[in-house]
Amino acid sequence: MTRARRIRATAVAGWHSFLRRRTAVFFTFLFPALIVLIFGALVETSGTGGGLFAEPPSWYVAGYLGVVVLFTPLSRLGAEVARTRDGNRFEKLATTPLTRAEWLVAQLLVNVVVIGLAAILVLGLLVALTGAQIALGPATLLVVPFVVLGVALFCGVGAILGSLADSQDGAVAASNTIAIPLLFLSEAFVPLSMLPDWLPTWLSPLTYFSRGVRAVTYDGGSGTALATWNAPDPWVNLAVLAVAAVLFLAIGARTLPVTD
Amino acid sequence: MDALVAEDVGRRYGDTVALDGVSLQVAAGDVFALVGPNGAGKTTLVRALTGTTDATGSISVLGEPPRAVDRERLGLLPQDFTPPERLTARELLTFYAGLYDDARDPTALMATVGLDETAADTYYENLSGGQQRRTCVGAALVNDPEVLFLDEPTTGIDPAGRRALWDVLEDLADAGTTIFLTTHDMAEAERLADRVGLLADGDLLAVDTPAALVQEYGGEQVLRVGTDATEVPPLDYEADLVDGTLTVRNVPPTAIGEVVADLETAGVAYDELTWTEPDLEDVYLALAGTDGEAAASGPPVTGTQSSVVAGEGGGNA
Repeated sequence: MTRARRIRATAVAGWHSFLRRRTAVFFTFLFPALIVLIFGALVETSGTGGGLFAEPPSWYVAGYLGVVVLFTPLSRLGAEVARTRDGNRFEKLATTPLTRAEWLVAQLLVNVVVIGLAAILVLGLLVALTGAQIALGPATLLVVPFVVLGVALFCGVGAILGSLADSQDGAVAASNTIAIPLLFLSEAFVPLSMLPDWLPTWLSPLTYFSRGVRAVTYDGGSGTALATWNAPDPWVNLAVLAVAAVLFLAIGARTLPVTD
Repeated sequence: MDALVAEDVGRRYGDTVALDGVSLQVAAGDVFALVGPNGAGKTTLVRALTGTTDATGSISVLGEPPRAVDRERLGLLPQDFTPPERLTARELLTFYAGLYDDARDPTALMATVGLDETAADTYYENLSGGQQRRTCVGAALVNDPEVLFLDEPTTGIDPAGRRALWDVLEDLADAGTTIFLTTHDMAEAERLADRVGLLADGDLLAVDTPAALVQEYGGEQVLRVGTDATEVPPLDYEADLVDGTLTVRNVPPTAIGEVVADLETAGVAYDELTWTEPDLEDVYLALAGTDGEAAASGPPVTGTQSSVVAGEGGGNA
């Protein structure tokens, strides 16, 4: 109970801090919206042509969700860790009952809410602007744990980057350097068929997010191929994502600094 | 009983020696002030004592190694501490209170540290420097700690704010809280501390009560007389005359009248009398040097509850 109290206190403080950085709030939601506008509405996806966006719009739902699940926690956690270290807050927290793992879980909760809202925004824009028809079924609810686990995974990675970087700028630059290649090499926007055979996309944890979300939101245009509760694909991907999330959260908590 | 015991504590950062065999004890309920130049190792020692950095040697806080102490019993205000800036003072104290099982009421705490209702509901970044430090001290007090570490708590605030914080700390000390603080402000150390330690280049050069340190290292009481005398008149005290200023050494305040009478007897006219006594700043300058380099050439000292064992050539002026 006291652990829950500590996490709650930290999460509430983190939530208020975030909401009051209006620029951060604005761009947190503007960024994925811009991605949808540029690639979904301006470039336009089409199933009839070739090139990068040759699949039906709904095929890319997993990719757009991947953008918010990947970029936002990476950069937010990286910057938050650097900011917290620079203000000697970790040193202060190290002398309180709050553990580093609890601090990270509190940040994760804030990010789940922020990114959950961003994901809803992205889904709405996709439907409204690109005509994406998201296939719905009971298994579509698995999008929620996919997003939560994806956020957890990249919060862990962001914490590692923030701990290793020597500044907020460095953390954000490092997160972008990692996020952009991952986005294009994890079956989020580029189908596996367009990538070299030798490329080990299975190494990217985002691959399992993309495959899993696509399995429960994209029916291949047939209207019947949507994964069901009993289909193995989403569950296998969810399990891999869960293992990766726990692993990176544990490493992230372990690497959080105590002093500057 | 000692609340803090450090024995032969060392810490290196690469080739730099931050702490070189520091030993000290702080009795429960005492206020201990650690003074020293920038880079002397004060913050490193605080971190070693709070378990936020590794150190060699032996450290005991409330009878246990620093990292094994119940966190509910410790309070810390780190150096250059900046809490989340877009939380109000009230929200910050509520946040830190939420980390403890048994925390003080944030509203009552704000009154204790002198934050009024307006300040309480102002974002930290918009508070004055003094209000910010009060908020930070409040964050360190929120669990009513038995041992409180304050790393330069009054740096950057105005004299009035500093004195207000001193009042808060004196109340805490009166209530039995053990306080370990670092400071560059000798007046702060002299007013608050039961004992003062002087750290330079990672060595603890001296530890004792402020009065004992001043007596041991502070130098002489001096009476300066502005005069037109051309030679030193006959006096019962050692004196010298330079550029119209007669400097009479080791004159206790009760003997000033006697010196003045001797001057008048000798027919020496004077237009100014200034008597000064040494203080902790003189101790600091004598031991640490005017350029921040330790003046003491001998080994560091080991402080105890009641005395100090001076190293050879301990920098006595």
